[in-house]
Amino acid sequence: MNKSDFSIFAQHPQLVYLDSAATSQKPKVVLEAIQKYYTEMNANIHRSAHFLAESATIAYEATRKTVANFIKAKHKHEIIFTRNATEAINLVARSWGETFLKAGDEILLSKLEHHSNLVPWLQLKEKIGIKIKYLDIDEVGQLIFDGSQITEKTKFVSLTGMSNSLGAITNLKPIIKRAHEVGAKVMIDACQLAVHSPIDIQELDADFLAFSAHKLYGPTGVGVLYGKAELLEKMPPFLGGGEMIQQVFEDHFVAGDIPNKFEAGTPNIAGVVAFKAALDYVNQIGFETIQKQETSLSEYALEKLKTLPYLTLIGPQEVENRGSITSFTMDKVHPHDIAEGLSQKQICIRAGHHCTQPLMDYWKLPATARASFAFYNEKEDVDRLVEGLEEVYQYFS
Amino acid sequence: MDIYAQNILDRYKKPFYKSLELGVGSLKRDKDPQPQADSYQLAKRKEANHSCGDVVEVGLEFQDEKLKQYQFSGNGCAISMAASDMLGDLTEDMTADEILAITKEEIYEILGIEISIRRSKCALLGLLALQNAILESRDEKLRGWKDYHI
Ligand SMILES: Cc1ncc(COP(=O)(O)O)c(C=O)c1O
Repeated sequence: MNKSDFSIFAQHPQLVYLDSAATSQKPKVVLEAIQKYYTEMNANIHRSAHFLAESATIAYEATRKTVANFIKAKHKHEIIFTRNATEAINLVARSWGETFLKAGDEILLSKLEHHSNLVPWLQLKEKIGIKIKYLDIDEVGQLIFDGSQITEKTKFVSLTGMSNSLGAITNLKPIIKRAHEVGAKVMIDACQLAVHSPIDIQELDADFLAFSAHKLYGPTGVGVLYGKAELLEKMPPFLGGGEMIQQVFEDHFVAGDIPNKFEAGTPNIAGVVAFKAALDYVNQIGFETIQKQETSLSEYALEKLKTLPYLTLIGPQEVENRGSITSFTMDKVHPHDIAEGLSQKQICIRAGHHCTQPLMDYWKLPATARASFAFYNEKEDVDRLVEGLEEVYQYFS
Repeated sequence: MDIYAQNILDRYKKPFYKSLELGVGSLKRDKDPQPQADSYQLAKRKEANHSCGDVVEVGLEFQDEKLKQYQFSGNGCAISMAASDMLGDLTEDMTADEILAITKEEIYEILGIEISIRRSKCALLGLLALQNAILESRDEKLRGWKDYHI
């Protein structure tokens, strides 16, 4: 359908790319935007007083506006650019966490979380002695929540909007509502959610939200942190350096305003500028079309994979409440060997724990194979996957 | 489809040195060396490749300074399991120092296939467990992936 928008498929005509959850392919408009930036306006932003710096700054700030609109943020200064979602989560754990949490305070995560939304909190536990609780999940990977898991002791909640291992889309609104009732703040890891579903941050009412450009058809090296302005304003800077200050003296400094306060040093200017092209591209296609295509692919894939008796599907078994990610295991064949066999046929999937080791341990799985679909995939890609899986199974039996 | 060479597939499906369960307590003793106080030594070590969930545990029995019994157990892909099994042939009657001198190139050679960077840890997981079993029993610094330059 949209394959011709992506140069990589022309380069590798046989490619069946089913690893978009790790990183998506980039449309030509994004590659062109990078080229255009370096050709026409390369300069350091916010600093130099010449016409090139002016153009570069305008282009960089235009992306901030586009991102704010993309998630319906009230203000563009609520959008902070980081290197990736991981850095965005670390920023909140360090800056907000170290300032507003103390020993014994409880935070709530879930068993679905990516290491990026676990390790920064474990580091905080080591450093200041917070307590970490985990929401349980049911057999199809949905969060189990009845309100009782959030108490007066809960100070912070950080949850994924969609599992990168299972594809389950979590039901966040009741959790966010309950967290706010007890005065806890909420962060959403929207790395996967932002790719598959429109986000209305006003309606969701999360306090912080993070995602990475590279999964959303943009370049690597750009992440987004959304934070409510009144919270960001009270938080100390995360990294120190140029760009983030108002004044520096020999014995102290005065931090700048948001968002610059959190963007120390020269950022990935070209990446941020090109990310606008990615979001414009997504907006142009529209989430309605994207979801329709991805749901029909998931439906078709589930139906086909279920016919293979030696496969076990892990996580949600139906298309409801899920994004286009499917995890599975094969009888007597290690996921790595599945991936290797498929790779010979130019079919790319991921094998491993998908950076969700606690989830894998909880379900006693050493690893799974994961196929993830984007709107540029076609039914034929599913057919090639199924054919490939049949061959791998034959080979090992 | 031809994913790996036949020798790897054969070893993966029918290993010679694999015992069923992790834990050195479950070592089979088919050669049954008679433990003699001075000349008998036992070593074991478990290593994991966390990024793909592979685990290998080796158990070693030295008699008169030579390796008399090699066993491993674990879960993993065909390459990691086959390589761990082939180590049994390679190390028979070797001294601990000879085992410590085994290089990654030797492992790649006995596997007989091209080992891509993404599979190098699969190929070397058994060797890491084997060499660290010895180093640990001597109370020496353990090796890590960087020591194999991968
Ligand atoms: C749910 C989720 N959270 C966090 C991350 C981390 O993203 P990044 O590596 O871009 O920081 C990922 C991507 O792997 C993810 O899928």
